[in-house]
Amino acid sequence: MTAVWYYVFTLVFFLFDYFILAMGLNIQYGETGILNFAYFAFVAVGAYVTGAVSLPNSVGTGQHYIFGWGIPFPFNLLMGGIATSLLAVVLAFITLRRLRTDYLAMVLISSSLILYDICNNFVPLFNGADGLYNVPPPFASVLKLTTNSFIPFFAAVTGVIALLMWFVMSRITSSPLGRTFRAIRDDDTVAAALGKNVFRGQLKSMIIGSFYAGIGGGLIIQFSGSLNPTAWLPGETFVVFAVIIVGGVGNNVGLLVGSLLVETLLVHLTAFLPAIPGHPGLIEYIDAMLIGVFLMVMLWFRPQGIWPERPRQSATMVRLLGKRGPSVDEARVEADVSDVALNDGSRG
Amino acid sequence: MSDGTPTDPTSEPTFATTSTTTSALRCEGLTKAFQGVHAVNGATFDVPQGQITALIGPNGAGKTTVVNILSGSMKCDSGTEYLGEDDVTNMESFEIARLGLMRTFQLSRELGGLTVLENLLVAPKLQPGESLFKVFFRPGTVRRAEQVNVERALEILGTYGLYAVRDDRARELSGGQKKLLEIARAVMASPRILLLDEPMAGVNPALIERIGGYILALKAQGVTVLMVEHNLNVVEKICDHVIVLAEGRTLATGRLSELRANKEVVRAYLGEVIDARPPS
Repeated sequence: MTAVWYYVFTLVFFLFDYFILAMGLNIQYGETGILNFAYFAFVAVGAYVTGAVSLPNSVGTGQHYIFGWGIPFPFNLLMGGIATSLLAVVLAFITLRRLRTDYLAMVLISSSLILYDICNNFVPLFNGADGLYNVPPPFASVLKLTTNSFIPFFAAVTGVIALLMWFVMSRITSSPLGRTFRAIRDDDTVAAALGKNVFRGQLKSMIIGSFYAGIGGGLIIQFSGSLNPTAWLPGETFVVFAVIIVGGVGNNVGLLVGSLLVETLLVHLTAFLPAIPGHPGLIEYIDAMLIGVFLMVMLWFRPQGIWPERPRQSATMVRLLGKRGPSVDEARVEADVSDVALNDGSRG
Repeated sequence: MSDGTPTDPTSEPTFATTSTTTSALRCEGLTKAFQGVHAVNGATFDVPQGQITALIGPNGAGKTTVVNILSGSMKCDSGTEYLGEDDVTNMESFEIARLGLMRTFQLSRELGGLTVLENLLVAPKLQPGESLFKVFFRPGTVRRAEQVNVERALEILGTYGLYAVRDDRARELSGGQKKLLEIARAVMASPRILLLDEPMAGVNPALIERIGGYILALKAQGVTVLMVEHNLNVVEKICDHVIVLAEGRTLATGRLSELRANKEVVRAYLGEVIDARPPS
């Protein structure tokens, strides 16, 4: 495989992986209004658990880590997702019962820093600052994949997983549960006054979103074979936020567009550019600035994103439910149209 | 079940229950202070079953705070609240709503990002489609429940004159439409008791007439209504019973015609215009 194809398939992998990550953050933030600034900590936990359960026993490996059960793909990935969901339950009980919006965001970002410090300094857990490495690539031995052939193979696997997870997420967001999430996002006091258990709704959203974070993180460590704590500082969370803000908050298709523009083109495209002579690392800084500028331009000129959330039309709803049409008769509808003129004031 | 008499009549000397009907909602000695300021200070009253009751009083009397406490949006410092025979004091808002007490807000609070139809579809209690398990493993049950809800929501939107804007985002509605939407949304939840916080505020006279008609229709369907209202013409026309609140306490209860003869009520709320009328 030529360097160009290696590069293209790497981009494809990150496109799909960040699509998964964006779907997870979107259900928390875009659908339910939970400002989860600790999102990448969940991604990292998913990655570490996936890596640590798929590695062999740590004795004699030169690394220190818990688990070491040699669990194969995709069960290791599922375990990463489940572990992340359990972490979400713990954090939700600590934070969501009493905190809202900015205070919630501050506590969550603090939680992610605590987790970072633990992983970075407590070596027996996930090998400290060195992180995990030599994580076995899935199916590599069974399918006799080389390093070169593994990359397109795993990009395709990730694409299939992303498609499956998009289907699942679409079912959730188009269901009454998704509607309840959006009600909580728009006004949790009103949602509660309508009989919705806001904490329970937020907890469900956190669990689902964190499962996606765990799967996305697990795929990263399976793809790269290694991960260390510096890869998941809070800045990474803002890249995922940028993906959903650029693509369109609350729209699953928009997230794929956001992932393409932000993660694939801005973050990883620049990573493959040659270094500027005499200025090592400058491209990474330019890259970060570009994301910031892009985000500001989007928020200024198109805050709803490129592919924004669309209102669910009643005709579509009625058609999907298998009905011919509403049972409201024409006379009532006509009366209704004239009634609209009765309302006071201007719209807005 | 309350017989309409407060447990400690001496604590509210001006309180006099005129209704002999059963109470749908009863509160005794509710208090709520904000940093030492008593917004509600011993409010005690009954809301008769199946009637329309007005909660009136001067600005700052604690009416909205009482509504917030009764609906569970706010916790009281002391006192008790009974929904029928159930003690629901300081229960969570969603639990009270599930027992059949729904509310609207003083300033309309629509779910702005949702369409008008979706605003109504949120309201039915404990929908099968709110369970993650049922979404994936009982899709038929979810779909059937959703069919029923969509049909009913469209009917209600037709009744409330909002059918034409069913697909608009709720935030795009006019002030009057938002008032209607709030009532329609509460109706969608099949309430036993409806708390309306100033449903006529800021709407034109034609719409006031319509909203009054809707409230009377709800009464005819057996819904108990407690409404905060300043428009005394409306109160006189549609309300069976009036509770006057002043400085967080129940000043008096009765029919509006009776209260007009009450000097304390006139002094605290009704004012000179009413005061100048000959006693009925």
